Amino acid sequence: MKIILEQLLNGLTIGSFYALIALGYSMVYGVMKLINFAHGDLFALGSYLGYTLLVFGSTYVTATLGIWGGMIAAMLIAAIGIGIAGTLVERIAYRPIYSAGRLPAVVSALGASIVIQNGIMVVWGPRPQAYSSKIVASHVLNIGGIKITSIQILVLLISFILMGLLFYIVQKTTFGAAIRACALDRSTAALMGINIETIIFFIFALGPALGGMAGVMVGMYYRKITFVMGWNYGLKAFTATILGGIGNIPGAMLGGLLLGILEMIGSVYISTAYKDVFVFVILILVLIFRPTGLLGEKVAEKV
Amino acid sequence: MKRIKYLLGFSIVLMVICVISLGTFAAEKPPVVIGLQGPITGPYAVEGEMAKQSVEIAAQMINDKGGILDGRMIEIRIADDACQPKAGALAAMKLITQKDVVAAIQTYGSFVVLPASDIYEKFKMVNIAYGATITDLTERGLKYFFRTCGRTDTQARFFAEKVVPYFNAKKIAIMNNNTSFSVGLAEESREALQSRIDAGEVEIVYFDAINPEETDFTIPLTKLRETNPDIFYYTGHFPEGGLIIRQAREIGIDAVFVGGDAVINQDSINIAGIEYAKGCYQTQEALIEFFNHPEAKTFKELYKAKYGTIPTSPWPVYAADALYVLAEAIDKSGSTDSDVIADYLKNKMEDFPSITGLIGFDEIGDRVGSSSHLYVVNEDGSSSLIDTE
Repeated sequence: MKIILEQLLNGLTIGSFYALIALGYSMVYGVMKLINFAHGDLFALGSYLGYTLLVFGSTYVTATLGIWGGMIAAMLIAAIGIGIAGTLVERIAYRPIYSAGRLPAVVSALGASIVIQNGIMVVWGPRPQAYSSKIVASHVLNIGGIKITSIQILVLLISFILMGLLFYIVQKTTFGAAIRACALDRSTAALMGINIETIIFFIFALGPALGGMAGVMVGMYYRKITFVMGWNYGLKAFTATILGGIGNIPGAMLGGLLLGILEMIGSVYISTAYKDVFVFVILILVLIFRPTGLLGEKVAEKV
Repeated sequence: MKRIKYLLGFSIVLMVICVISLGTFAAEKPPVVIGLQGPITGPYAVEGEMAKQSVEIAAQMINDKGGILDGRMIEIRIADDACQPKAGALAAMKLITQKDVVAAIQTYGSFVVLPASDIYEKFKMVNIAYGATITDLTERGLKYFFRTCGRTDTQARFFAEKVVPYFNAKKIAIMNNNTSFSVGLAEESREALQSRIDAGEVEIVYFDAINPEETDFTIPLTKLRETNPDIFYYTGHFPEGGLIIRQAREIGIDAVFVGGDAVINQDSINIAGIEYAKGCYQTQEALIEFFNHPEAKTFKELYKAKYGTIPTSPWPVYAADALYVLAEAIDKSGSTDSDVIADYLKNKMEDFPSITGLIGFDEIGDRVGSSSHLYVVNEDGSSSLIDTE
């Protein structure tokens, strides 16, 4: 029983990373009907930003704020930095070609992804970097026989706070209503007096900012960051988005957490080597019975 | 008018360059160019970088003695394969199509060597692998393929016959990372243990693979922990190896950790953190720091003077070995023809004193007399040799 609980926590931790990244995909797709392939690499960039801040700024940041304060500061600054980077990607790679339709934007997104990935390699080098134990505190706690690290608790806590906050913004505020209205029908939303430009600006800042924070947390939790990490996480998060229903924000959260737990189940009860097979079989089954994903709403085809 | 001026200026510059280069060519004999295919970028870049440095040091050692073939210098030409099979095939083609490249030293990772060696074979270029240990590589009847490193079956037997008894281990956990080398080492280790398993002396309690591109291994490791192994043999590579050491210790696996020959190096020690890396073991071929014959000494001195340390894994030094034997074969046979070089390496080279000791090749291109050893990571990140006898 203890083992199942411990494995569940492990699965939830992975799942919350997927969920945070998946939110970025889902928000952008909801409003723009565009898959932002650069999102995974923005996440990796966030990881490197946090790393740089902690390593080179540790004399100031960690000295004044303490080790935990330094970690939180790194997350916030990475979030702001990646938020700005996200809006820049939108300005440079997507905005000039919106009028050309959706397909060129997808190709442009792939291009942006390659540019960011190689940019990271040029600046930080091809070798994996490590968040050293000097800048990241971690203790192994033993709660009633369940082993959990303090970082794991922090990750779970922050992820759930962020997801709660986003859920509140999207579902309960006027601004959230405007985002949802854009997702339903952009031109009608514009006729109702919603400033589409502002909405686009915010989703391209907010989604990547969450991804950037996830990047710093991944670095702190696993220690190792590489310039190619965005691809693998991006793929998994995108899968989570599809599982939960693309364009649907609670769906992205549910999809991410579920994916983490499914991977855990596949890994524990079948074999780690075949866990992805298990996960994708489940995904296919879900899509057969609910083609729009678990929480995706049925959208009538516009003619 | 302006354009003509530009053209004129440009052609003058070109002519000057031509004259200068002609002058240097006339003064010196053309160099003997040896290709080095290695992972200069990508996740295994640290191995590629060390290989490049090692080969350059070996070239320097040969050139300082006056080069080969009556004063021709050795020149290294590098092709990056990023440790990917597809990029490896391209890198091989890149070296083959350059007419002045006479032979190639090729790369880290058996799954990259596998397709690349076929291409070298097809175009008849001698190629020596330095970090590719899967058993099958030399069993394919290739004429131009050699390797200066050992084979996984030697290492698997060493693990089964020496390491397991040394720790007096009864319950064994083996984990691999689904690459051809890693699966090979894991399965050959299991085979080598089979007789003792049948006799009921030891038991394999865990045998599974992980995906090296991931970062979270706590779930398979928790599963492994519940089988209570005495010894945990991880046969994968260093980028995820450091994470596995750390995560295994954090969730409370206290079994003896033994890495295969690609798990422990500076990068994995950094990632694991020295507090977890110290006391980890590895089955590994001979490391350069434990060699003391003249060639090894010179190599270490030159390397240390230039880069401050010495290579932390054996593979880069095997790359230097590969250059050393190639230079010897070309010099002694007096030819840069692939058939002559291959024939010399196979039939005439015996106990040639190279950087990692005496080298000779058997009829399938394997190095004669390579051996595995057990090392432990010390508190300062260095390694000590363990006597398993």
